[in-house]
Amino acid sequence: MSVFRFVRGFTNRLRVPVRAGGAPAWPRRAVGIGVAALSVACGSRVVDDTSSRRDDFGNPVPLGGRPTRIISLIPTTTELLFALGAGGRLVGRTHWDFYPDSARLVPDLGNGIRPNVEVLLGARPDLVVLYASADNREAARAIRAAGVPVLALRVDLIAEFVRATETLGLVIGAEDRARAVIDSVTRSLASVAAATAGLPRPSVFFLAYQNPLLTIGGWSYLSQLVTIAGGRNVFADLPAPSPQVAFEEVLRRNPDHLVVSPATAAELRRPGRWQALPAVREGRLLIMDTTLVGRPGVRLGEAARSLARLLHPGTVR
Amino acid sequence: MIRFREVSARYPGAATPALDRVSLDAPAQVLTAVVGPNGSGKSTLIRAMLARIPLAGGQVIVGGQDVHDLTRREAARRVAVVVQREEPAFPMRVRDYLALGRYPHAGAWGGGERDAAAVERAARDAEVAELLERGTDALSGGEWQRVRLARALAQETPAIALDEPTTFLDVGHEMAAFELLAQLARAGRAVFVVSHQLNLVARFAHHVVLLHRGRVVAAGAPDEVMRAAVLESVYEWPLVVARDPAVGAPTLIPLRRVGPPRS
Amino acid sequence: MRRLAWLPLAALCLAAAVVAVAVGPVRLSLGEVWGALAGNADATVTAIVREVRLPRVALALLVGAALGMSGAVLQGTLRNALAEPYLLGVSGGAAVGAVVMVSAGATAPAAVSLAAFGGAVTAVALVLGIARAAGARGDPRVLLMAGVVIGAFANAAILVLLANAPGDTVRGALWWMMGSVGAAEWNDAAWLAGALLVAGAPLVHWSRDLDALALGHDSAAALGVEADAASRRLFLAASLLAAASVASAGLVGFVGLIVPHIARRLVGVRHRAVLAVAAIAGAALLVLADLAARTARAPAELPLGAVTALLGVPFFLTLLRRAR
Repeated sequence: MSVFRFVRGFTNRLRVPVRAGGAPAWPRRAVGIGVAALSVACGSRVVDDTSSRRDDFGNPVPLGGRPTRIISLIPTTTELLFALGAGGRLVGRTHWDFYPDSARLVPDLGNGIRPNVEVLLGARPDLVVLYASADNREAARAIRAAGVPVLALRVDLIAEFVRATETLGLVIGAEDRARAVIDSVTRSLASVAAATAGLPRPSVFFLAYQNPLLTIGGWSYLSQLVTIAGGRNVFADLPAPSPQVAFEEVLRRNPDHLVVSPATAAELRRPGRWQALPAVREGRLLIMDTTLVGRPGVRLGEAARSLARLLHPGTVR
Repeated sequence: MIRFREVSARYPGAATPALDRVSLDAPAQVLTAVVGPNGSGKSTLIRAMLARIPLAGGQVIVGGQDVHDLTRREAARRVAVVVQREEPAFPMRVRDYLALGRYPHAGAWGGGERDAAAVERAARDAEVAELLERGTDALSGGEWQRVRLARALAQETPAIALDEPTTFLDVGHEMAAFELLAQLARAGRAVFVVSHQLNLVARFAHHVVLLHRGRVVAAGAPDEVMRAAVLESVYEWPLVVARDPAVGAPTLIPLRRVGPPRS
Repeated sequence: MRRLAWLPLAALCLAAAVVAVAVGPVRLSLGEVWGALAGNADATVTAIVREVRLPRVALALLVGAALGMSGAVLQGTLRNALAEPYLLGVSGGAAVGAVVMVSAGATAPAAVSLAAFGGAVTAVALVLGIARAAGARGDPRVLLMAGVVIGAFANAAILVLLANAPGDTVRGALWWMMGSVGAAEWNDAAWLAGALLVAGAPLVHWSRDLDALALGHDSAAALGVEADAASRRLFLAASLLAAASVASAGLVGFVGLIVPHIARRLVGVRHRAVLAVAAIAGAALLVLADLAARTARAPAELPLGAVTALLGVPFFLTLLRRAR
């Protein structure tokens, strides 16, 4: 269930209007170009004004040091720090960070949302990476007041992930490796997009949570991944990460597939109102690998490929 | 009709019993009154009759049967009880309130002709006929008291027991109430009244029982019980018992305790 | 007029149900709705009407009726116009059961419902047990106090359970506690209908006892009612109804509080009539509240408990004005 916990936990209060180049409705042919253009656009911004760079809370990014005691309170950045070779410099992670496996050796400091500031400071960090949600503003202020630099990042969209990678690379002094990661991710995403470019696009519905009924909206990397993987999120028109929808509306949009976790798949097979959906009746359930797809991260390319394989079995390797 | 045989009862946690081997009879055609100071156990007798308090000993017999052997419904068909205080949770029409008195008799659906007639008769006897359409929350204290009496009358039972029925009534209504009770006794019912109105009791009751600290200290006709010596020791207040020929019954007059009035 | 007051009310209830089936976040024409009911519309429309809206409306009707009756019984037994169905620890116990289930990761609605019902029944049993231990088995005041105690304990337990729970648990638990008939399926309605029959039918039969109890226990005994036993029976039945409602729809407040007042205004104090009218009025009220809950902010849904709580505002204002 970690996908949905991640998405909801970190994105549930974001109701931001769609930005140009952001979420929904990627025209078929421009998919691959779009991804590349995005990362380039973000990249050029980085190169231009390193000095006045700001994090996602609007505060200046802590540059110039070389932090050796880093607390990462976002699963994405924990994984990223290992990919950037800084795994040994981690002194704290959230309770939900398990990737890569060596992350388990890093001390568990509790929640990533509304963290226990005292516990964080007790680990004597020289950098704390937080998820930039309104719930964390207080914690960020308290940590900064205690003299520890804070980096607040949002990682809901692929573009945000790219930007976060760059910023992190800058802050910890690993710009080259950051660039390498970004290039690798961008290339693999582009290759998946290209592989699915000419294929018919089945529609999918993400069943994120049942009571209340939540799905993945357009403002989410998952929705973007589905597009790259040659599918279409039926609720991509909703500009939110995990909006609530009416069951009637799901019936009306009649998705070709449902994307669910393994536990939910078992529940759906039992008799109930979900049987009213043709996709459920005919067993067209796509079971995601939450370890891969659960968060935006260095393995985005693989995640896209796994989704593409589910959507186009036999056609995509 | 109503008999208490060596009835003893004690409230949980109380040091002394509320009733201590009380025996008394309230037969038909007699107006029996129980008098005594506050806390002497008068109201406890009523609760024992309703089986609302467990007995430590003795029996309460109503209509020839032990109260504990009867269902509440059967008991309610033998004796109508007017408790000391009553406050309906939701205001209702007086007519509907009187109709409640028919519950022990009413069949599964209630509200037959007999019931309506009983209600009308009761309202007339208790002089509340003009109040029938009023709400129970729109009555004065005295009117409410009479309405409650009317409900007991509507129950049409061979015995009727009342706990302090004249509390809010003015002189005229007090007398009218006791006249009615005396009349009911004459007509054949057993009337059992708990009251602290010694003078009214002396005027109307055929049989008086004096209770003190849960025990019967005197019982008999009003003349026998209304003796200054006994009453003084029970009520712990100086008094004289006078006899006015116009009244025809002993009258109790309490005396002022100390000296002349201050001026 | 008093006798026939229930007729326009029943008509209102029926109309509300019809409107609720015809209206929803997805716009359907009356013809399509009729077609779906008759069985000759396309699969999606039929599914929407038959699998989503109808069970939902049915459940709303049943929950409203159950809560209305339960509230009327408790107000009469406790002689208190502000009593409501969740008084004897029903809501607290049910919430603890549901939160425990959700925390354990079980999201299947049936599991949560069962746990909620179990929790509610346990709480009521505890309340009755406490009253018996205190030596006052049917005394309303003691029962009330015991209910408050259990309720307070339950609230504390819920706070502890939620304090360190992960995000989805908190969200799922809160959603349940705010009340909803959104996940209604036909077997939920069937269970509740059964509960209404099992607990509700006897209540109508015992309504005479309620009339007498409304005068106080001593007076009720004088009228031939076994006051303590009748009191206990009525509490039990009313709490079972409330527990079944909570298990089906979460915590939906205010209906059980407001509806008996409306019923008494319409048909007087005779409880047989009050219970029947409370059932119909409660059903109508909840169907309309659910309609508002799912259309006011479509496609998102307002919690049902929020809509009914809003109803509390004009209600209490009216009470206040009348009290002056």
